[in-house]
Amino acid sequence: MQDSGQTSGIRVRLHDLLYSQEGVLLAILVLSVLLLSTQTDVFLTVDNLLNQGRLLTEIGLLALPMTYIIITGGIDLSVGSIFGLSAIMLGHSWQAWGLPLEAAIVVALLTGVICGLVNGLFIVRVGVPPLIMTLASLALFRGMALGISQGRSARGYPDWFLELGAGEVLGVPTQLWILVVAALISAFILARTVFGRSLYAIGNNELGARFSGIPVGRNKLLIYTFSGFMAGLSGYIFVSRVTTTRSDMGTGHELDVIAAVVLGGTSIFGGTGSIAGTVIGVVLIQLLKNGLALTGVTGDATIVVIGTVLICAILINNFVQRRRSGESVASAA
Amino acid sequence: MNAQNGAETDNGARITPTGLALLLVGLLMLAAWIWLPWIHQPERGATLARVIAAERSANELDIQRQGLSLPPIAAVVALGAALWGMLAPRLSRALSLVMLVAGLLGLVYHLTFFLDLAASDATDLLSTMGSAFWLTLAAALVLMLQFALPRRVVAGYEIGKVLGNQESVLALGILTLVIVVGVLNPRYVADRNISEILQGNAYIAVAAIGVSMVIISGNIDISVGSLIGVLGIISGAMVVAGYPVWLSWLTPLVLGALVGALIGFLVAWLHIPSIIVTLGMLSILKGGLLLFTNAEWITGMPVEYGLSQQKPLGIPMGVYIMLALTLVAAWWLRNNATGRAIYAVGGNAEAARLSGISERRIVMSVFIINGVFVGIASVMFATQLQVIQATVPPNLELVIITASVVGGVSILGGTGTVIGSTLAAILLNTIRSAMVFINVSPFWLQAVQGVLILVTVLVDILRRRRQLIQR
Repeated sequence: MQDSGQTSGIRVRLHDLLYSQEGVLLAILVLSVLLLSTQTDVFLTVDNLLNQGRLLTEIGLLALPMTYIIITGGIDLSVGSIFGLSAIMLGHSWQAWGLPLEAAIVVALLTGVICGLVNGLFIVRVGVPPLIMTLASLALFRGMALGISQGRSARGYPDWFLELGAGEVLGVPTQLWILVVAALISAFILARTVFGRSLYAIGNNELGARFSGIPVGRNKLLIYTFSGFMAGLSGYIFVSRVTTTRSDMGTGHELDVIAAVVLGGTSIFGGTGSIAGTVIGVVLIQLLKNGLALTGVTGDATIVVIGTVLICAILINNFVQRRRSGESVASAA
Repeated sequence: MNAQNGAETDNGARITPTGLALLLVGLLMLAAWIWLPWIHQPERGATLARVIAAERSANELDIQRQGLSLPPIAAVVALGAALWGMLAPRLSRALSLVMLVAGLLGLVYHLTFFLDLAASDATDLLSTMGSAFWLTLAAALVLMLQFALPRRVVAGYEIGKVLGNQESVLALGILTLVIVVGVLNPRYVADRNISEILQGNAYIAVAAIGVSMVIISGNIDISVGSLIGVLGIISGAMVVAGYPVWLSWLTPLVLGALVGALIGFLVAWLHIPSIIVTLGMLSILKGGLLLFTNAEWITGMPVEYGLSQQKPLGIPMGVYIMLALTLVAAWWLRNNATGRAIYAVGGNAEAARLSGISERRIVMSVFIINGVFVGIASVMFATQLQVIQATVPPNLELVIITASVVGGVSILGGTGTVIGSTLAAILLNTIRSAMVFINVSPFWLQAVQGVLILVTVLVDILRRRRQLIQR
């Protein structure tokens, strides 16, 4: 999809940026931020934005591996349930098993890894379609969270544990640092490593990728396990922020995450997408929620707006991409 | 008659492991019939009907508790066995004999039961046994038909092939579960509980019919749960506002079709993947629902509005609707050109296009039909109770998709039947109810459902692999 070489370098760049999915999305983001800031004074303040950063971390952490998975043409519906199960395991192993809290954190992260690994093994080794496998594990892991906790919540975490969810480092919420670092690493891996590029290859043509010697099975196993780990981490951060553990935590997160990733320009059919787009998608959704709430729109109407934005963003993008590909055909001729 | 057929059936009927398992199930059924009716009163040596009649005149006894409702379930099993014996002509001789004997025993038992009941002074109990009576009558008819009709016989047949389709696996699963749990706790098979099981998931089964069609066509709809909630609320609000009942029942169907048309338009004409359209639609509808109702429940519906609470012939209305729609949809998918085209589009869109099928038109119709089914499901959902909640049961769309998938609809499109999805919806509720009756914490329900999906899919994959090897 390269533009013709006749236009000058800067114009090509600008043109590309403007017409790329991320560019369109960035434009929507800037527009909505400007629009929202005219409606209320509180919205465009450093405090508010940093606080939103705290809130979007959990979804953001889930969205990074989800981008990988959707790029390979797969999907992971079970992230919300892994999130909940990890949170439950954290509280349960600490209070019911009497483990030290540090060990309980490790248990939570391990739970995430194991859940992701189970998903990956069934998908890669047995050949269960990802949608079905993670639909099954969505019910299974949530059911385990309910069954293990018997619907009880765990409370009374010490102060040091809550530091991650409520504390600040250099004036920025602690967990936002984690998200930023994770996003940068994920973006680097996806764009600049052989492993990352192989994900695109798998998404575009899995059989072709296999024949070109890409370890398709291993890579898919890795990303589903990565997804499980991030869900565990995200669950841990969430517990630390809300200072309690409940078995219904993270219900419906999978749809929020997928919405953010798809909004960020990752094709649900696989093969295209970027971490930058996903990050913009996550930020856009969170700022829309927050901005609309501040301007007095109820939370329910906000959900309606987000759904509409999702459909419209894809529509606009389809339109732009079609025009763009039409142009490049014309200029080639 | 049976002996004559037996000579032919004998050809190549081999006992395989699956066949053995089937035989065991048959024997289990037999044992259940002989054992179940007398399970409570072994020492009296009297038929259950006489015991009940005697006890009833002595003191007001709790009908449900005394296992009076065991006959209905035995009748269901008898009917199932008789139907199976007739519809599966490829059963081995031993197996069809077991089925036949089981069906006959069940029938004899029921006839004595009803005759005893009629002869006793407790004739009024006959009316509470309505469903069992009709089922027994149907079983008798089918059994007679079985004797009357010539049976096709295929040589070199393996019993394993009976298990070759998802529907019979599901039916067998439901039957086994009902019998095993019924033996452990007879109240499980009480008339009331059986109709509760069938009625409870009827709206899910109806919605799953539409969703199955969508999935067969190679698309998906994850907004059904929210749509059911929205349409149910609209229907309830209309009837409370004084609109006629029939209009309140009909409006959800029309609105459902309109929403379906919108989704279909976005998918078929603007080429947005269905998962994204319906994901967006999910939040639009869910938010709209809360916005519209302020999360307040709707109450004060007139009595005649309660469609799902009506019980013609003692069977809940939802069961009739579920059965009728399933059969009509199954027939339509199998025999109608448009119905077949749905499979074609889902199986291979390019090939379908080349054979002159308009993919756009099919996708559009599928989503509209789905909208209508969701509309019907929403009316069934809204009329179940005296109140309509402003929130949809969480994960309702996933339960519906689960029913479709467990019913054998491949998520990749192109295969599956709506009979399977309805059976799966019933199975899900059978399991839920069973867990209550054998004292398993309901908190484990979702985990069991997850395992169930997984097992179904694994069995499906293994079966396909084996078929591939055999070919």
